[in-house]
Order: sequence, then structure tokens, then C-alpha cells
Amino acid sequence: MSNLGFALEGAWKVLAAGLILGAGLPALFALGIRALAFGAGGDAEVNGGRPHRTGKVMAYALFAIVILGVLLGITFIVASGFGKTISFEHIVPTIVDK
Amino acid sequence: MSAALRAGNSCRVTETTVILALVVITALGFDFTNGFHDTANAMATSIATKALRPRTAVALSGALNLAGAFLSVEVALTVTNAVVRIKNANGTPKASLTADGGEALLLIVLAVLVGGVVWNLLTWLLGLPSSSSHALFGGLIGATVAGLGWSGVNWNGDGSKLDGVIGKVILPAVLSPVIAAIVATAGTWLIYRVVRGVAQRFTDTGFRWGQIGSASLVSLAHGTNDAQKTMGVITLALIAAGDWHSTSSIPWWVKVACALSISLGTYLGGWRIIRTLGKGLVEIAPPQGMAAESSSAAVILASSHLGFALSTTHVATGSILGSGLGKPGALVRWRVAGRMATAWVITLPSAALVGAATWYLAHLVGGLAGAAVIVALLVAIAALMYGRSRRTPVDRTNVNDDWHETQREGV
Repeated sequence: MSNLGFALEGAWKVLAAGLILGAGLPALFALGIRALAFGAGGDAEVNGGRPHRTGKVMAYALFAIVILGVLLGITFIVASGFGKTISFEHIVPTIVDK
Repeated sequence: MSAALRAGNSCRVTETTVILALVVITALGFDFTNGFHDTANAMATSIATKALRPRTAVALSGALNLAGAFLSVEVALTVTNAVVRIKNANGTPKASLTADGGEALLLIVLAVLVGGVVWNLLTWLLGLPSSSSHALFGGLIGATVAGLGWSGVNWNGDGSKLDGVIGKVILPAVLSPVIAAIVATAGTWLIYRVVRGVAQRFTDTGFRWGQIGSASLVSLAHGTNDAQKTMGVITLALIAAGDWHSTSSIPWWVKVACALSISLGTYLGGWRIIRTLGKGLVEIAPPQGMAAESSSAAVILASSHLGFALSTTHVATGSILGSGLGKPGALVRWRVAGRMATAWVITLPSAALVGAATWYLAHLVGGLAGAAVIVALLVAIAALMYGRSRRTPVDRTNVNDDWHETQREGV
């Protein structure tokens, strides 16, 4: 296989991971903000709706998922500094030797 | 051993030591320019949307780069192996290059660094975010061709893996801004779609926080990646001069010096480049800023996980462009984007030319005098460019001023 083949093979993997983590997590964060506004009601929403408690709960659940994603990123940076990497082989991320 | 020969030997040793000192100082200088050239990658959007005050942003980014540089325990000695043939597979320099006490290799390394610094300063003066890694690789290719001939460069690899100048430098540079732009476009579009109906006052506060978090990740990743390159170059020089023998560890003072140098550079902030990326390319709102930095962080981390080396600068620029494409009706200045693309295309050959010319000059003068001449020349050029930059200063007070496309930034 030529260099171009190897590069395209790497590129689509980076694109897939990028779309899930780099566009998916921000979208979840946006959902969290929307839920928070729904929870706050009043002038947080354009239509000035009533406050809803469920909105707040949903918002914090979504923010928790986003924070987990960020922690995964930090773990990867720290781990690769020590010559380790994160394996997704068993779905649950585990730190293994490179 | 006769007295004369002994005197000659000790003279050579001192000469090598002085050249080595020049290499180390120039390498730290390169690391410093690498720092301020790349502050914009992480912090331009946060400064433009006022998520962080300019001074806070550069301080945060500098601190995270410092932390990141100390986190990298791995040795990046083989970083140049994919591009030039000056080292054995284990990272030690080839015996033929160190036969004369290491001077031949030290001169090549010095010319590489001079080429890299000159190109970094020129692009900074013009406010263009070009890749520091490309400047380094360009200088490396130029000085190697000059010193060892065309066969000293690994152009296309052997077809067994992603390798050579084309595989490790050119293809990633073409693909990475496109990937980052697609991710950021998707992210921006999704975010604006999801928060439709939420008051802007409310979203702006939330996304500013998201922006700070994602920009911090980019800074940390930058510290681990980029400081390591200079650590590798300095360690290579030390091995060439016979002052260090391990290829699996680096001297602690090299690590401390490189970490401090890159974080100081980051803290200084390349305001000219921050302005271009934050205000020039796209008019950025907090949701776009968060989408851009998340895309950068995800693409950089995913690619380093997959061993697909990308330039932080190319990724960050692609992401910011994408955040303009994903927001309906957003303003994207294609002329600015075109100028950046031009700078990227000419970075590699230009740094190569500077590196080659510098090597010829040093070689012509020869030995310690040659090394001293090119370092003196570098200092003169740096002073000239700094003087030029003072005519139209950009700093934290005017970094966010409105962008007028008619104005000539820099020169």
C-alpha cells in the first residue's frame, strides 16, 4: 500500500473519533445548556417558559457525561506521557503499555 | 601521545563544547518561538469571545504547557527518523557523522534550528499561524540535503508504513485541516440547532465555560507534544558531542529548560497570531469557540492515539474555519484563509532554503567560527524583525479590535 493509502486509512479513523468526541460531546453539552434553561425558565428561554425541576436534573446528568469524556482525554495525555496508552478493547477504557 | 597532538585534541574538545552550547541555546530559542507561535491555537477563540481576559488566557495556557512538558517522560529521539537519515534505528547518530567529535552533526542541527527560528519569527511578524513542526522539518530537510546530499532525506518511505517526508509531513498537513474543519462544522451546526430557543445571554455564559475547558485540553496536549521535540533535538546534540550516552532517557536539565522555555514563550503570547486566528478568520461567538476547541482537542488526541502525527496549528486553524462554516450566516474571511494556506505551502520549502543556506555559510567559514557566524546572523535577523514589529505593535490591549480587511497586518 502507498503512503496515500496509509494516510487515508488513518484519516478516516481520526475523522470518526473526532466526530464522536469533538462534535458529539459539545452537542451533549449544548443539550445540557438547553435543559438547564428549560429548568430555569423565565428569561433563560426566548419564549419565557415556566421553570421545570426535571430540566435541572437532566442538565447535570448531561454535564457529567461530558466531564467523563474530558477526563478520558486528560487520562490519555498523562498516560501517553508515561509511555502508556488507553485500550478500548474491552469497551471500558483501560490503561495499557504502548 | 605527543604534547602537540594532545593540545590539538583538547582544542577540538573545547571547540565542540562551544558549538554544543550554541546548539543548546538556539534550540531553547526555537522552543520559545514555538511557544508564542502556538498560544493562539488554544487561546485565540477564548480571547476573542472574552471567555478569558487576554492576560488570564496566556497565563493559563503557559501553566498547562509547563505541566504538559513535564508529563512527557517518553524520549522523542526518533522524531526525525521518518524524515532524514542521520541516525540509526535506535536514535543514536550515525558513526560517520560523529567521527570528528560530532562537529559535522552539530553544524547540521544548528543550521536546522536557525532555519526554524527565522521562519517562525517571519510568520509571527506577518501574523500568520504556520506550523512550528513544519519549520523544524523544513530546516532539517534543507540542512540535510546541503550537508549529506539528496539521498540523506527519506522522501517517500519504503511503502511498508506511513513514512518519509510525504507520509509523515505533507499528507497529514493536507488532510488535518480538512478533518478538523469537518468536525468543527458538524459540532457548530449541532450546537446552534440544539440551543435554538434558549436566550443568548444564557447560552453565552454556559459556552464560555465549555470553551475554557476545551482550550485547556488543547494547551496540555500541546505541552506534551511540542516540548518533547526540542528535548529530542538537544539530547541528539549531546549524544553527538559525546556528553550523553543513553537513548532511553534525557538529562533532567534539558527537560526543565525546555519546559520553562516553551511555557514562557506561551505566556508571552504571540498576539499578532492570536489576533489573526481569533478576529481575522471568523467572527467568533462562544458556541463556535467551544465547537472549535473541542474539535481541535478531539482531533489532536485521536490522531496521537492512532500514531498519525498532526500539526496543532493546522488542526486549530481548520477547526476555527469550520466553526464559521457551521453557523448559518457567519462571516468567514476567505482572503485571510487563503493567506494562511499560502503560508503553509511555502513553510516547508522556505525553512528548507534557510536551513540549507545557513549550513553552506557555516560550512564555508568552518568549525566554531562558522557556528558563531550563523548564530550572530540569527540574532541580527531576530532583532531586525522585532524592531519591525514595534511599528505596528499588537498586544493584549488591542488584540480584540475590529478587523479591517484593508489594513496590512504586520508589514
